[in-house]
Amino acid sequence: MLTAGWMLPALVAAPAVLAGLSLLARTPRAALWVGAVATTVIALVAGCAVAQVFMHGPLECVGGWFFLDALSAYHLAILMLVFVFCGFFAIVYFREEIANGVFTRKLARRYQALWFGSFAAMNLVLVSNNLGVMWVGVEATTLLSAFLICIHVSPAALEAMWKYLLMCSVGVALAFAGILLLAAASSASLSGHDALLWTRLMNPSVTLNPVLVKVAFIFLVVGFGTKAGLAPLHSWLPDAHSQSPAPVSAMFSGFLLNTALYCILRCLPIVEAATGNRGWGREILVVLGILSILVAAVFIVAQHDVKRLLAYHSVEHLGIIALGVGLGGLGVWAALFHTLNHSVCKATSFFGAGMLGQTYGTHDMRRMTDVARVSPVWGTSLIGSLLALIGIAPFALFISEFLILKAALNEKAYLAAALFLTGLGIVFIGALGHAISMAWKPPATAPRPLRTHHAEALLAWTPLALLLLLGLWIPAPLRALITQAAAVLGVTP
Amino acid sequence: MSAWTDIILVSLILTTFWLLGSSRLASCIRICAIQGVATGLLGVVGGGITIRVAAISLAIIVLKGLTFPWLLSRALRESNTSHEVQPFVGYVASLLIGVLVLAFSFWADSRLPSLAHGASRLVVPVAFALLIAGLFLIVARKTAVNQVIGYLVMENGIYTFGFGVVREIPALVELGVLMDVFVAVFVMGIAIYRINRTFDHIDSDQLTLLKG
Repeated sequence: MLTAGWMLPALVAAPAVLAGLSLLARTPRAALWVGAVATTVIALVAGCAVAQVFMHGPLECVGGWFFLDALSAYHLAILMLVFVFCGFFAIVYFREEIANGVFTRKLARRYQALWFGSFAAMNLVLVSNNLGVMWVGVEATTLLSAFLICIHVSPAALEAMWKYLLMCSVGVALAFAGILLLAAASSASLSGHDALLWTRLMNPSVTLNPVLVKVAFIFLVVGFGTKAGLAPLHSWLPDAHSQSPAPVSAMFSGFLLNTALYCILRCLPIVEAATGNRGWGREILVVLGILSILVAAVFIVAQHDVKRLLAYHSVEHLGIIALGVGLGGLGVWAALFHTLNHSVCKATSFFGAGMLGQTYGTHDMRRMTDVARVSPVWGTSLIGSLLALIGIAPFALFISEFLILKAALNEKAYLAAALFLTGLGIVFIGALGHAISMAWKPPATAPRPLRTHHAEALLAWTPLALLLLLGLWIPAPLRALITQAAAVLGVTP
Repeated sequence: MSAWTDIILVSLILTTFWLLGSSRLASCIRICAIQGVATGLLGVVGGGITIRVAAISLAIIVLKGLTFPWLLSRALRESNTSHEVQPFVGYVASLLIGVLVLAFSFWADSRLPSLAHGASRLVVPVAFALLIAGLFLIVARKTAVNQVIGYLVMENGIYTFGFGVVREIPALVELGVLMDVFVAVFVMGIAIYRINRTFDHIDSDQLTLLKG
């Protein structure tokens, strides 16, 4: 136990220490490089912890404060993947700004410190066993990442930051009321400290008061749903995603949203068990999921700003994940698989959008045309990831969306299936139109071509290659890990 | 013992009504400080005073009674907006909504299975009322400072709720939550400062660049 257990607190402590050290970086480049390399090292440690959980079952340590089971281990693996990609991308993205003297040492220090801080907070959410500590982590991610949005101060960035700060703080405060209610619901069988522990609450022998659990779940869904960007609570999301620098948008979209959704997912089996497994909690997720998909679809069609387009894609895909989990059965497995696919794909698309945005000096898709000629690397990567996002066939997102549709039909949820297809159809047509015009429409004024290193191609195409591979073949260990994670959510295949 | 708890709970409600009807930002900040101190006292009068309870209560009183008001009034002093509240919903209407919120909270409490563990029957309705009134203050007031005050009222409601409902929140969690609230207000303070410097106002209803 001792050998494996130290990794969990280390996952929180190491980035927290690094956040402090980043304030001493001598040059902006050094700060970013240290960030990328240290993130990779931490990711390797996390990989060991995930492997440990996968082979030997859940880890628990430091008197039960830290806990990692298949569900959180799976999310931890995705988190690490996204952060490593984003860490290296930041070096590429800020290169020009460093050369122009825009990204000064002071900004770089602040950026890297907040980056590590958010990293530590997200790790804390995933590895803590105590719901209270988990909540502290979620709120900390909001506060630490708020200033990442307006690293470059502009009126629009400040507005985005204020909305993000206020909406998410208020939302997450409601979630805390939900956590307290959940603890109160268990007061008949659990006492003191135990009432806030996942490991105790998940125990099937614990009886919870069903009425209180229902009220608690509503608070939790509204609270964490705001942070996860589920419609109709998503209004902060497009602003924050479009105004932040690209590596931050990629991190927000790639995992910040999933951290909050993870908290809802964790509660679901507890709520279901307490309310007699009649699908009361699942239905809420189905409704919110479909609403998110449809709302996002409408905004995607009418969108001109590429980063806002991607932000609405996040609303859509988080909706798809919620829908899948809500459907139950095969849907849960597919939704978890979709979580991985979406995170990887969305990070890549924000990379492309960010690099091209720098070249064109705008994020308006009507002026960002002929992207593949302007930047063969990032242009193709952006178009490729946009196509993957709307569910073009060989990519993994197609497989997971197809499986969710199949799950809907299995569960005889025909209305949900029809609405899901409608939403996907609108998104497909709307976003395909944008992608085609970006790819082939002749440019009004040809911008200077973007110079790229060979190493950048690796960063631009590896995630896409990964998605293509996963679409064609899912490795057995990954399949098994997702199955284990789905089992935590109460689904055994 | 319970009588003291009740007095504090009633004072929480009264300060909330006072906030709903106040027109000057400076007095809103002062009322919010009073409410913060009352929230802090809740833990001390509620039962046997241990070192843990005393420490947390002291931290709450210092933060909510001194630090936050200081931060907010500094933000207010440096901003060059009018120091009026500028409500979307008028003061009388706000007070009426406050009454409705209170009635709703008592009704909701009667519908739920008994939550409070004997501290006082008022705990849960008061907590709900603070929570909803805080939300209302956030939506119904224009200035950023007022939204922070609304957030603090909500936070007081949640603390009251935790005090009444959960027997033993681990001290570490309580300190963590308190630290988060502190950082939240601190960060919001900096944000207000920057918004004021960039926009020349702190009216969040005029933050309308981003749409669609």
